[in-house]
Amino acid sequence: MIEFILNNKHIQTNEPPGMPLLDFIRYTMDLTGTKSGCREGDCGACTVMEGSLNNNELKYKTIVSCLTPLGNVQGKHIVTVEGLNMNHLSPAQKAIVEQGGTQCGFCTPGFVVSLTSHSLTDDAGDPEKTRAALDGNICRCTGYKSIERAATALADSFSGRNGENTLEQLVATGHLPAYFNGIAERLKKIRKLAEPMKTNGILLAGGTDLLVQKSDEIAEGELTFLQDKKELKGIAVQDNICTIGAATTAAEISGSAELQAHFPALQSHFKLISSTPIRNMGTLGGNLVNASPIGDLSIFFLALDAELKLQDNKGKQRRISLKDFFLNYKKLALKSREIIESLRFRLPEKDEYFNFEKVSKRQHLDIASVNTAIHLHIENDFITKAALAAGGVSPVPFFLVKTSKFLTGQRLDEATLLQANEIMQDEISPISDIRGSEAYKRLLLRQLFFAHFLTIKPELFKLRNLLTK
Amino acid sequence: MPHGIPDYNLATVEREVPATEPPAWEVNDKLKVVGKRIKRTDALAKVTGTAVFTADVQLPGMLYGKMFRAGIPHAKIKSIDVSAAQNYPGVFAVHVLEEMIEGANPKSGEKSSRYPDIKYAGQPIAGLAAVSADVAEEAIRLIKVEYEALDFVVDLDEARKPGAPVVFATDVDQEASDGGEDIEQGLKSSGNVRGPSTRSFYGGPRGDLEKGFAEAELIIERTYRTQVQTHCPLETHGVVVDYNQGDVTVFASTQSTKNTRNDFAKAFGLPKSRVRVISEYTGGGFGAKHALGNFGVMAGHLSKISGRPVKLMLDRKEEHISAGNRPNSVQFMKLGAKKDGMLTALKQLSYGTAGVGLGAGVGRIAQAMYDCPNFKTGQYDVFTNAGPGAAFRAPGNVQGAFALEQLIDELAVELDMDPLALREKIDKSMIRKVERERGARRFGWTHKKAGSDKGPVKKGIGVAQAHWPRIVNLDSTVEVRVMRDGAVEVRSAVQDIGTGTKTVLAQVVAEELGLQTEDVTVLIGDTLFPIGPSSGGSIVTGAITPAARNAAYKMKQKLFELAAEKLETDAGNILLEAGTFALKNDAEKKISFKDLLRRMRVEQLTETASRSDDYGGFMVGTIGHGELGSVQFAEVSVDTETGFVQVERMVAAHSCGRPINIGQIESQINGGIIMGIAYALYEDRVIDKSTGHQLNPNIDQYKMPFSFEVPDIQIELIEDYGGRSSTDASGIGEPANIATAPAVANAIYNAIGVRIYDLPITPAKIIAALNNAKNKNDE
Repeated sequence: MIEFILNNKHIQTNEPPGMPLLDFIRYTMDLTGTKSGCREGDCGACTVMEGSLNNNELKYKTIVSCLTPLGNVQGKHIVTVEGLNMNHLSPAQKAIVEQGGTQCGFCTPGFVVSLTSHSLTDDAGDPEKTRAALDGNICRCTGYKSIERAATALADSFSGRNGENTLEQLVATGHLPAYFNGIAERLKKIRKLAEPMKTNGILLAGGTDLLVQKSDEIAEGELTFLQDKKELKGIAVQDNICTIGAATTAAEISGSAELQAHFPALQSHFKLISSTPIRNMGTLGGNLVNASPIGDLSIFFLALDAELKLQDNKGKQRRISLKDFFLNYKKLALKSREIIESLRFRLPEKDEYFNFEKVSKRQHLDIASVNTAIHLHIENDFITKAALAAGGVSPVPFFLVKTSKFLTGQRLDEATLLQANEIMQDEISPISDIRGSEAYKRLLLRQLFFAHFLTIKPELFKLRNLLTK
Repeated sequence: MPHGIPDYNLATVEREVPATEPPAWEVNDKLKVVGKRIKRTDALAKVTGTAVFTADVQLPGMLYGKMFRAGIPHAKIKSIDVSAAQNYPGVFAVHVLEEMIEGANPKSGEKSSRYPDIKYAGQPIAGLAAVSADVAEEAIRLIKVEYEALDFVVDLDEARKPGAPVVFATDVDQEASDGGEDIEQGLKSSGNVRGPSTRSFYGGPRGDLEKGFAEAELIIERTYRTQVQTHCPLETHGVVVDYNQGDVTVFASTQSTKNTRNDFAKAFGLPKSRVRVISEYTGGGFGAKHALGNFGVMAGHLSKISGRPVKLMLDRKEEHISAGNRPNSVQFMKLGAKKDGMLTALKQLSYGTAGVGLGAGVGRIAQAMYDCPNFKTGQYDVFTNAGPGAAFRAPGNVQGAFALEQLIDELAVELDMDPLALREKIDKSMIRKVERERGARRFGWTHKKAGSDKGPVKKGIGVAQAHWPRIVNLDSTVEVRVMRDGAVEVRSAVQDIGTGTKTVLAQVVAEELGLQTEDVTVLIGDTLFPIGPSSGGSIVTGAITPAARNAAYKMKQKLFELAAEKLETDAGNILLEAGTFALKNDAEKKISFKDLLRRMRVEQLTETASRSDDYGGFMVGTIGHGELGSVQFAEVSVDTETGFVQVERMVAAHSCGRPINIGQIESQINGGIIMGIAYALYEDRVIDKSTGHQLNPNIDQYKMPFSFEVPDIQIELIEDYGGRSSTDASGIGEPANIATAPAVANAIYNAIGVRIYDLPITPAKIIAALNNAKNKNDE
């Protein structure tokens, strides 16, 4: 039985744990404000808020209900647009009404939920971040301008506020219905399923890939939910080694103050990865195991020479370099019933540089044509250590051994880059597909490779020189 | 009545007006509710999620329908076995379709075999209704179809070649929808190529093309290509049908309650009066939702067989492959001009494919927009094994504008002229003249030499124009009711697909009755109400608001008589202002609107009125005064390292007669611009040539823009009075996205000095074009 709170209602249900939350909301509970637009997590019409207790603190985020199996909401608070309705319009709703932010209205509840959820964050008063919180919602009618105005107006209503943006305050100011005040206590009473770590049936973490790829099997099959396993979560740093649990979400990684300190551009890199609700759901382990040749996190951590800790269902552990993890297209060095427990890597130190680049047709919520990450150690204009990874140019997320090796020990100048490009072009094997032709991907990787250096050492390079030679 | 453009040529014109219709309104400045930024009346239902769309309709005992679709693109059906599905627990009805009501069909109507031939992957064959969506999904897999596979063709160029697999063996025809796509009846086919269509409502060829080219001092010949775009409304097509033994109710996500009703009545041999269609909220349409469709017929049969209501919503994949699209095109353009820019001849030859449907022409923009004495077009439909096209927001003209407006831009480059100045010279439209002037001022337009920016990221500016005719539909009737408690109600079968029809109806009636928008309740989207126009061709506002005003005016006359009785005077002595009836010469003698209604002898008064022909003799089916022109300006930046294009800002100068609701008009323009940017840069339906299946029937790989792709947009909305009807309003939906793609394309050229001739303009195409240009220079 799955137990959670839906809006103000305590739910105990025997529906299958693989049932999409969206279907439970719309069909079982007959709450039709949450819409179904694509059932693949790409349109945001089914966005809901998910509240969960973490160290007794209740935190909310947006998720797409179409890709959320019911099993993943055990012990949580799910909020649909109906659960935000009060006898007055909330400021988020009001902003949309006032600014003319609806046309056909089918996408509107999703926007209301995304805006409201953002209101609960510390960035509620930041107009730009408020608009960014809508990066997972498609509107086909309005052209977004009115919705942007609504987001800005909502953010402005928070500016100049003192103190923390707590749930109690938001209830007091009419942003949220009063029942939110009691949710934390009610969630504490919901029994935690203290299951031993089993790895039966389909292993499922955030579900953002699996519910698209295997929705039928998940609907009926046996499932093991990994997303909320404490032992798989969290980011820890010791002796400059960073360990990230496999069930840590992309949002948790990009939100980590510790990581931001070492990767100043982390948040802007992660903005290029999918959308807010998908980053709130998708996990590090899931992204690696999905083994997409252009998986953003795979590329990111390949360049950091990360190492994985794997664990089988008897608790036996082993370590493997991420470089050795991807064997062939969608083939992994993962044994049956083995899971990724965590990933660890050495944090960049002084004289070390990291950069991530990605190009796709549309900027956001897009799978890259080509992406690449580089990690360099530079001393006195010499590259003393180099690690280059690229996606979309090989059957696997690709660590460029030869190019990396070549770069190591070279002087940091244009001649080195031009020579490295030739080695790189030899090393990769892109194919033509819907994301681009082979020739284009080759060209793109060259440009992105150069872009790494233009970003890291802008004073040293002129693109013109690189391209004309 | 007012005539012309304020600040330019506003004057007064006399028109003969039917006796039952009100005197003309003054210009918007003088009005209280009309022409203002009024909040949408349905916004509350939408932000609270209480608006019930067809997808949300739940009826007692309702079943879930699902279609079985062809897995291969071209075949004859040898046999269909539905027995396993029929016997599956939870399945209540199974039906096999006997004909296809979408796309083109042979004129004879004769059937060559028992089942319709399969002409595209995803064509519906059968369907069933079950207790839940899951059960329907499981059962549909049990249907077995044996095919005799045939060779197929999905590519426009390959389908044109002699010896290509033929989609239709005989000549075919298709009725145009209310979406405004051009389909010339009775044309012959050769292989997959049907046509050419050489005529339109503007007439046929004009002048002498040969003579025109002989006179030319400059001839430019270019070929342009546009891709297939799908509509992707957020709510997919779908219906809930309760057949109820021939007393039918259909909830439909539709742009036309009227057509849905008519199609259903025809398909089931029922009188129209027995079919009620309801569409209170429709989640977008953009031209694809004008008819009942095969899915609607299927749902009807399933409901009839099972005796239960059946919901059948398409999923996102079905929406992409079978629910309509904007046909692609290849356009061979030849332009002759004098050195001063004057056009001497324009020849247009186009091929496009609407898959198994008709309507792949490239519109009439080349014929209508510029002053060119010698013009000829030949537009061919090419059949391919792909889902049928449908009207899509300015059908044809969007494709046509991409070619024409780049061609004019190229002429300007050849002549070393400012492209705006060239248009000033060759475009006689008054409204576009004003739009160019006001738009250019707002944009800060100064002609810039192409590719002149230094550095890898280059900026460019571009301009393009649009033309869309004003069309009027007389099937536009409104009933106005007042009730004793003061309620005012407006009723019409017209639907609101998101454009804001409900709100403009409330505004117009409120203005006429001296009330506020919120005093008026609008009930629409139900065929029990008086007939309304389809939401297509940018017709609705121009068609239905005069009917609403006329009905409100008639009601006002009745109320004047009532007030005269109460105030003991003649009706002619009374004024109605701000909710109060008062004597013209004695404001103290008055009675409020509410009080008057309270004293009615009956519970309710009703008045009904319809749209009449345009004043001034502009009849339906002809082009009225003026047109719905627009001029759009774009600034882009192009990263020449990656080919990445960012549209930085747009200025859009538009007109739509008398604007009724400024906010809604701006939203329509914004939405049209985004759709145009998506057409220019992202969206592309890709069909695999080796399997005939669409590779991106989703939102993941079919790229619609998010808010991040949206540029700064500034709108210059121009009032354009024509004295054409009691509201003098027009629609805006379609003119909004015609000029965008060519404006962006022209700006990209201006940025990088290299022109891209086919859509979408992807980073890869930009890089390839830059490399080509570089290689040419090196040679």
